[in-house]
Amino acid sequence: MSRRRRLPVSLALIAPLGLFLLIFFAAPLYTMMSAAVSDPIASRALPGVGSALASWDGSAAPGPDAQAVFARDIRSIEDDQLFGDLVRRLNSAKPGFRTLMSKTRTALREDLKANDLVAIDERWSDPAYWQAVKTATASTFTDRNLLAAVDLERSPAGDIQAMPAGISANRTTLARTFVVSLLVTIACLLIGFPYAMIAASVEGWKRQLLLGAVLLPLWTSLLVRTAAWFILLQDNGLINSALMALGLSSGPVPLIFNRTGVVIAMTHVLLPFMVLPIFSVLIGIPKNLMPAAASLGAAPIRAFWKVLLPLSMRGVVSGSLLVFMSALGYYITPALIGGAQDQMISSVIAYYATGAANWAMAGALGIVLLAATIILYTLYLRLASDQQVQP
Amino acid sequence: MTQPFIGFEKVSKVFGALTVVDQLDLAIHEGEFVSMLGPSGSGKTTILMMLAGFEAPSSGKISVAGRQVDQLPPHKRNMGVVFQNYALFPHMSVADNIAFPLSMRGVAKAESDQRVRRALDMVQLGALSDRRPSQLSGGQQQRVALARALVFEPQVVLMDEPLGALDKKLREQMQLDIRDLHRRLGLTIVFVTHDQSEALTMSDRIAVFNRGKIEQIGTPNEIYDHPATRFVAEFIGETNLIHATAEAADGEVSRVVLANGQSLSVGRKALKPGEQVCLSVRPERIKPSGTQENRIAGTVRDVVYHGDHLRLIVDAAGQTVVLRSERSEAAPTIGDGIEMSFSPRDCWVVAR
Amino acid sequence: MNVLGFSKVVFGLAAMLFLLAPLAAILPLAFTDSVFLNYPIASYSTRWFNELVTADVWRRSIINSLIIGFGTTVLATVLGTLAALGLRRQEASWLFAFARTAFLLPMVVPAVVLGVGLQLMFARYNLANSYLGVIIAHTVIAVPFVVINVSAVLQAIEPRLEQAAASLGAAPPTVLARVTLPLAAPGIISGAVFAFATSLDEVVLTLFVAGPNQRTLARQMFSSIRENISPSIAAAALIFILGTIAAATVLNVLRRYRKPARAVS
Repeated sequence: MSRRRRLPVSLALIAPLGLFLLIFFAAPLYTMMSAAVSDPIASRALPGVGSALASWDGSAAPGPDAQAVFARDIRSIEDDQLFGDLVRRLNSAKPGFRTLMSKTRTALREDLKANDLVAIDERWSDPAYWQAVKTATASTFTDRNLLAAVDLERSPAGDIQAMPAGISANRTTLARTFVVSLLVTIACLLIGFPYAMIAASVEGWKRQLLLGAVLLPLWTSLLVRTAAWFILLQDNGLINSALMALGLSSGPVPLIFNRTGVVIAMTHVLLPFMVLPIFSVLIGIPKNLMPAAASLGAAPIRAFWKVLLPLSMRGVVSGSLLVFMSALGYYITPALIGGAQDQMISSVIAYYATGAANWAMAGALGIVLLAATIILYTLYLRLASDQQVQP
Repeated sequence: MTQPFIGFEKVSKVFGALTVVDQLDLAIHEGEFVSMLGPSGSGKTTILMMLAGFEAPSSGKISVAGRQVDQLPPHKRNMGVVFQNYALFPHMSVADNIAFPLSMRGVAKAESDQRVRRALDMVQLGALSDRRPSQLSGGQQQRVALARALVFEPQVVLMDEPLGALDKKLREQMQLDIRDLHRRLGLTIVFVTHDQSEALTMSDRIAVFNRGKIEQIGTPNEIYDHPATRFVAEFIGETNLIHATAEAADGEVSRVVLANGQSLSVGRKALKPGEQVCLSVRPERIKPSGTQENRIAGTVRDVVYHGDHLRLIVDAAGQTVVLRSERSEAAPTIGDGIEMSFSPRDCWVVAR
Repeated sequence: MNVLGFSKVVFGLAAMLFLLAPLAAILPLAFTDSVFLNYPIASYSTRWFNELVTADVWRRSIINSLIIGFGTTVLATVLGTLAALGLRRQEASWLFAFARTAFLLPMVVPAVVLGVGLQLMFARYNLANSYLGVIIAHTVIAVPFVVINVSAVLQAIEPRLEQAAASLGAAPPTVLARVTLPLAAPGIISGAVFAFATSLDEVVLTLFVAGPNQRTLARQMFSSIRENISPSIAAAALIFILGTIAAATVLNVLRRYRKPARAVS
């Protein structure tokens, strides 16, 4: 079929999957991201206040007109849940709103004509409260969650500043995620590179056996592997029993519910992703290069350093990127093998989303993780396409 | 002249900045065997693909049997195509492969079986009908492809380097078989090849392609003996190209002069005095003796043994001339002085 | 044997032990008679397999996994095969290059991130806690495997085969049905097996979008390891590993079949 006639057919064929992924892949990610940056509660609960306060200069409490709009909006909130959300939103900007709002709402409902808020509560004369209302109603966009994801906040004046110590641990979690992923990548490299070299240096059944040992775990359910490590690593598990039987240790070495266990189990899970790219680069290197280097007078270690390592660098970098990228988003293994102090960013996201029902924070941390993953993947793709150009 | 059976009118094919076929005019008659011969990239396969309907021409008109076909999809063109590497369906048996075009045309099972059997007998493969293509040898696969392209009695058969993957002996056998089928069935065949000896063996006419254009079209004889251009002279067979300058055309005989001042007669040919030309002379037409009209003296630089003949490489008049010589006791050896000669009829002037 | 050769053997064996020991360690425990998932095994029994098929949570989860795995396989195979056919021979177009990259992205995006998004969206469209929702979520991450497998097998089909079919009189739909799809079948089946395996092993998205009624085997194993570990995990693991070996065998047979099925040349 000629190219011109093919195009509409090709488009029609990719359209179903394109639409499916647009609706169930792109849209959810977009929903998650917009949940992180949108702040619609205040403007929904108080629809008139935003424009009423738009021209307010912020030096003293706003005039009676604006206060009347505020009172009208408060009276017309029927939905208690919406009111609760509004209070929570305002309280998170300035503590004190919780009591102030419920007192104000009760008073406004009892006296349908009352419009002087200062008379209801003295605090309404403080411009700081009005500032919080103005900020909350002015825009449906917020960077609060994104900043909070990296332990930053805005001061009342609007400057970005660090959160007080002890309030949030997101930076710690991010740093831990990074460190654990790095440890896993290094461990995979230390085991995977020599392993790939050995597999590339032998032939026949030996190579099949070595590769099979990598592929079998890759094919095995992640849960099965995690459960297996659970059995091996527990205090009275096989490893500790062996250590004690050999007299290497008098009591059980803590291997589970800590970082050691997480790194061991994740290394096992991700090792194939390191071995396979390096192996595929190594078997592409002509076998006679090392003998050639030796014949030119290079000792084995020098020949490795000067010849084999530079040529296999591409596989090493691909494998490392793949392992590091996968490790960043890992959830199951840390959740089952790690302790409370080893939870990675995915666990925190899952906690916010399913435990605390705080989708805004889940979304904000999700954006951080997604951005890191996409950057690493782009690097990986770059590397992979460069590889294709090479002869 | 009657309207051609297959006609190309000003057909061009452009891929991006590359013109693969350039303003092609070509007429093929019913029952003719025409080869398209040229180096790879000369556009000959693209022409076949346009005729079969797999590529659309960028401009121009293609007609078959008086009907314009450029807008017709391949499955409605009713042409048998024999592909390079045969393109047999690996998931079907030999018989199912051959029955495929019949089933596409709604031929009833009983008739289809009969025609498949006849087609298999025609290519002498009756015993292998249940085999898979992968279980056949290259030559057998070739025959299945041929049977499949002929079984539905198409009006035209197109062949794209169909013998390229066979070894030399088998290829020569198949050349004769295909030529025989062509005569027996009265087929119109368009045959693409880059092998000049194959084209010379099989064709009624040969079109020599270079860079998307036809350099020359004619019978094998015309192409071989009277190459129109230097490209054709060099591409078809082996030839000597002797540089010369046109001297004068005095009546019946034209003359050229070599760099060393020697004058040669080239038969009747319109030449402008002073024009730079080449004389194309086939090695087998040059005699290693002074018996013909045009004589050149030279020194034997090398003698190459070729089994049934010898090849002499001679330095003469500042150029290199190759000639064939019979094996004999008296054959010249390296360093011998030699007188060569050829008839004006056996040299052909082409532009330099 | 020199020092280098010796250390190669030792390192290779040690690494293989690291890779395979966990799998070897869990299997015998499927047959323990004890309630503890630990060695030594005092006596053997099949009580944990009985538990899997009789205990309501396990039986239910196995059935759920089969329903959801089947749904995912069908949906992912259809969508992925169509897309792979559409992506074919459009390498030059930037639009299709973009689509190819986009279709593989679900493999890359962390499951937790996608889970949060799907949970938010499903809540809005009433897909939360439904079989359809879980099947859709699993299809999103299973479909890249189908696209990859089918694309690979399509690329191996010689274009001349389809041109030959057309020249013999087959219209495009007939070429697809009689030539392209039969030749692509091994890749389509591999893709389907991968899709099923992906669905079977999926936990994270299931955590986010499934309700208690859609609890899958993998999800049940996850909470069992977390809350109440027992040798039924090992029994489930054995089923998983046998399934893996069965799937690997199927794929190997297909690979062997695919060789002669490649275009004859």
